[in-house]
Amino acid sequence: MLVSWNWLKEFITLPSNISLDEVTEKLTMTGCEVEGMEAPCDSLQGIVTAKVVELKKHPSKDGLYIVTLDAGGNNRAICVTAAENLNIGDMVPYAAPGAVITGGVTLLSKSFDGITSEGMMLSADEIGLPDVADEFGILRLPVETKPGLDFKSSFGLDDVILDVSITANRGDLLSIMGLAREIHALFPESELKDIDIKDIDGNATGCPVDFKGVTIEDPDCLAFSLGYASDIKIAPSPLKARIMLSMMGMRPISNVVDISNLTMLLMGQPSHTYDLDMLPEKEITVRLAKDGEKITTLDGKRRSLTNDDLIITSAGKPVGIAGVMGGENTEISEATRTVALECASFAASRVSRTSRKLGIMSEAAYRYSRYVDPLKVIPSLKYALNLFVKWKCAGKVYGNFTLVESEHPSNVEVPLRAGTLKRILLWDDMEEAAGILSRLGVEKTREEDGTWFFSVPTSRPDITIEEDLVEEVGRIRGYDHVKPRIPGSLSEQGALDEVSEAQGALRNVLLARGYTEIVTYSFISPNFRKTLMLPDDDIRAYPVALSNPLSPEMSSMRTTMLPGMISALGLSLRTGWKRPIRVFELGRVFLRTQLESADILEQERIGGLVYAGADSRSPYGDSDVDDFFSVKADIMSLASVRGVSLEFVQGNEPFGHAGQKADVLYDGKKIGFLARLKPAIEQSLGVNSPLYVFELDLDALINKKLAVFMDVPPYPAVYRDISLLVDKSTSSINIIKEIKSIAGNLLWDVSLFDVYEGENVPSGKRSLAFSLAYRSDDKTLKDAEVEKVHGHVREKLEKLGYALR
Amino acid sequence: MKEILENIKAIRSEFKESLRNISDTAAIMDLKVRFLGKKGKVTSLLRLLGSLPAEERPSAGNAVNDLRNTIEKIIQEKALSLRDEEFHRKELAEHIDVTLPSRGRVAGGFHPVVQAKNEVLKIMTGLGFKVVLGPEIEEDYYAFEALNIPPHHPARDMQDTFYFPDGRLLRPHTSPVEIRGMLKYGAPLRIVCPGRVYRKDSDPTHSPMFHQLEGLLVDKDVSIADLKGCLDVLLDSFFNRTLKKRYRASYFPFTEPSLELDIECIACSGSDPSCRICKGSGWLEVCGMGMTHPNVLRYGNIDPNEYNGFAWGLGLDRLAMLKYDLHDLRTLFEGNVPYLLSGRRI
Repeated sequence: MLVSWNWLKEFITLPSNISLDEVTEKLTMTGCEVEGMEAPCDSLQGIVTAKVVELKKHPSKDGLYIVTLDAGGNNRAICVTAAENLNIGDMVPYAAPGAVITGGVTLLSKSFDGITSEGMMLSADEIGLPDVADEFGILRLPVETKPGLDFKSSFGLDDVILDVSITANRGDLLSIMGLAREIHALFPESELKDIDIKDIDGNATGCPVDFKGVTIEDPDCLAFSLGYASDIKIAPSPLKARIMLSMMGMRPISNVVDISNLTMLLMGQPSHTYDLDMLPEKEITVRLAKDGEKITTLDGKRRSLTNDDLIITSAGKPVGIAGVMGGENTEISEATRTVALECASFAASRVSRTSRKLGIMSEAAYRYSRYVDPLKVIPSLKYALNLFVKWKCAGKVYGNFTLVESEHPSNVEVPLRAGTLKRILLWDDMEEAAGILSRLGVEKTREEDGTWFFSVPTSRPDITIEEDLVEEVGRIRGYDHVKPRIPGSLSEQGALDEVSEAQGALRNVLLARGYTEIVTYSFISPNFRKTLMLPDDDIRAYPVALSNPLSPEMSSMRTTMLPGMISALGLSLRTGWKRPIRVFELGRVFLRTQLESADILEQERIGGLVYAGADSRSPYGDSDVDDFFSVKADIMSLASVRGVSLEFVQGNEPFGHAGQKADVLYDGKKIGFLARLKPAIEQSLGVNSPLYVFELDLDALINKKLAVFMDVPPYPAVYRDISLLVDKSTSSINIIKEIKSIAGNLLWDVSLFDVYEGENVPSGKRSLAFSLAYRSDDKTLKDAEVEKVHGHVREKLEKLGYALR
Repeated sequence: MKEILENIKAIRSEFKESLRNISDTAAIMDLKVRFLGKKGKVTSLLRLLGSLPAEERPSAGNAVNDLRNTIEKIIQEKALSLRDEEFHRKELAEHIDVTLPSRGRVAGGFHPVVQAKNEVLKIMTGLGFKVVLGPEIEEDYYAFEALNIPPHHPARDMQDTFYFPDGRLLRPHTSPVEIRGMLKYGAPLRIVCPGRVYRKDSDPTHSPMFHQLEGLLVDKDVSIADLKGCLDVLLDSFFNRTLKKRYRASYFPFTEPSLELDIECIACSGSDPSCRICKGSGWLEVCGMGMTHPNVLRYGNIDPNEYNGFAWGLGLDRLAMLKYDLHDLRTLFEGNVPYLLSGRRI
């Protein structure tokens, strides 16, 4: 919100030693962040008021006039102008040579075909406030202006405009008066002044208005008042008012509209002006709209309403959307003779909802959405009518207002105890607290058993409980007064949860093994199903979809970690990256519990993707190039660091290469996969070397058991090799299992050390060579003992149909 | 006796002569055999000792033994120095270019937001906070109602929060975990709740997905002083220095009083009026917080007359951006590997 410092100063008097910077600093610290400060006409210098005393045409140049000015004292000046709007006797702003106009331009004398113009008379553009112009040409000042005055200070152009951010709970601060009250609370030595509102004769006779009345049909209209003015003369507002509006970011329109806006800026009370003769009937009813009811608003747009919208009607016809915008049908115009001025209070949530739904963020809606004090409607109405009189905008105003309230608002009583202050602020000076509250308009009413009671005015609906009072006291006093301390109760040991703990360990493994950690969006495009060739019975093919996604590409919750990693790969390749890409992500997938189910399981996963790179050449040949088994080693490392043993079996993921995919088992159950992507998918992604992906449930990697260490075996192992010819389709792990079951206890370890296909091996077969370690816990094994069991292994394997080599 | 002494002299000079021509370890072994072997010259001399009269034997024996020891020592030294020379030659022959690239993989790069999260978790667990996680798909009740957010609050709009057809939503903040934590563990309680949050926003400073870290402490007689103490430690530890801070009054529906914490600009500490990070204000807004609203405690099944507490919500992405000098929030969630490796620091 933009706020005029000059205007504020009319209502708050600060001790002379307090600077504007101090005020803004304190406002910021106590909850009204001052986000900016600007003096829009700061650059103007040396501009004075002057009177047009002589006006004639330029002798040789058509369209130019020579103006003689009285710039006060005995100063006469000649200006040449093309402006057509001047008459003798007009008052104008005059910038003599050496004066500075907007944009920091310094004026010089200039000759127009033999006639020297000593500086120039200014238009609204040249003072930097184009909206202030009420006609084309030189800005004419009120005729009663004296010549020779400093223009800048005389017309409020020396103002500083504050940009203040008001929190959503403080509707009371959306006005000059509200902020003045707040500044008063910040500076105890300051003095707060009230607005001078002249009473309007309530029994004025001759009121042309025979108004039948106002009916409130919905309690969301808290108060509704109407005042009347007749013999309306639509004209531009006085210059100072136009300047003030313009400074505060509002465009001056006409006296009637500007009165409404100025009243709102000053009092925080929005108002609306109806052309009384255009009202369908001299009657107003505030009610909820009917579904589908239509109104054309002041901005010329046809709006369709629902029965969630509160509207103002006359003779059943909508004439305005409550608190949001008036209707076109009763809009004031040049022809308007009599007006009804509405000041009302509506429930904040109602206005907020309707204005957001219709996308009308008017100044009125903004204020109503934050709350407008129902007790302010009558003073605001009077203030506005005063201006009608003062500006001679109406011939007559009438004090017989119509006021209808849903319920007469009253102050709320809220308690405050020293103990509560002490607990939260470590400070409990109740007298000082009461002083702060009093400056905020919250007065102490009584005291009972050490509890003080305060009366909270209707302007502060945000204060309802003791903590609210503590906040008021705490913020005005300043939180700097509360010295930080480390809570004494923090002696208990903190701890990571098991997911974060596991994630930390896994992350360290993959980072050390050359992976880059990525974080990708949890929402993905539903197209991923096609990319990954997921079949109809795959639960991952049915992601939950958002009702209101940002875009179709971000409309479904991911059911697998693959899409994010694949798009990361694509992006990295598009940047021209040719080196290997290894990425991993820790995060959740969102799976339906069943195909048709709405129940969603959020599952923690770890996913990885490995690409050898567009250019995998290396001085060390292929040994550095990632393949299925290097990625398998990464997974084994993850398992190892978590103390978990994982098993790999031939896999069945639909997106996996038919011959190169594994399911990863923990405790016999599938917890994930490692696969090379199908070559067709690789091709569609435009990569030229294999793409390996893995994804594991984090749950299996959350180590629930402590690692237990075993004594070093006291007796050495004895090693024997065995070499077999087996079908290519036989998994090596199966042979290891066979060997283990045959050999029994003395066999300590089996490891595969050679795989051979080719010369001397029949096609369809391969040769596998294992190293077997025999060991006993009780003694050093003798050769004969080893030979016995090893011979048994060989024999049995042969019987099982494996050819020994 | 005389004969022996002459022999010794002859052998000594012969040995010296032979040694001069030795240039490798094989030759020195031959030399050793020739002089000290079973049939070696020195050994033969020893045999002669028996033929000497008994009184001459000791001195002759000493002389021969001296010879033997001298030769043995010289051979040993020579053998060692030859071996060293040979190794050295071999090593020179095995020279490699150490500036060739390393082989195999080198460590990758962390994600700055995850790194920031882990750092904050480390700090806060050190202060006695337990880490609690909550669901990302959340119910309206936990996301809004139990946090004292009124029914028609703008945050509940479809314009601001992502919804699912069944009325559930993607949590717009980590605050629901406060409620779940209170309901699960009761008071006293100190928890931090990190995680992904979602809002319908997308521009260089807003991402539809970002990360928060919620903190909640509930105990008897908790003060704003405790809140400030914890947050001071959190931020000073995270940025590794004592920062200037200001605690400003603010407003949140779920805290009363509510505050906001600004820290001095990480880049300029307020010294640069044209600073890109703080826009010249010298301050950076990092965290919203306050004393937990009594209604929120009640929703958490905690009696506000007995306990009170404080809570805060920290933007982890913002912290990461400040610490690692990141510019565009959205880039962080694209998985751009070259970008993520550009700041590699493990």
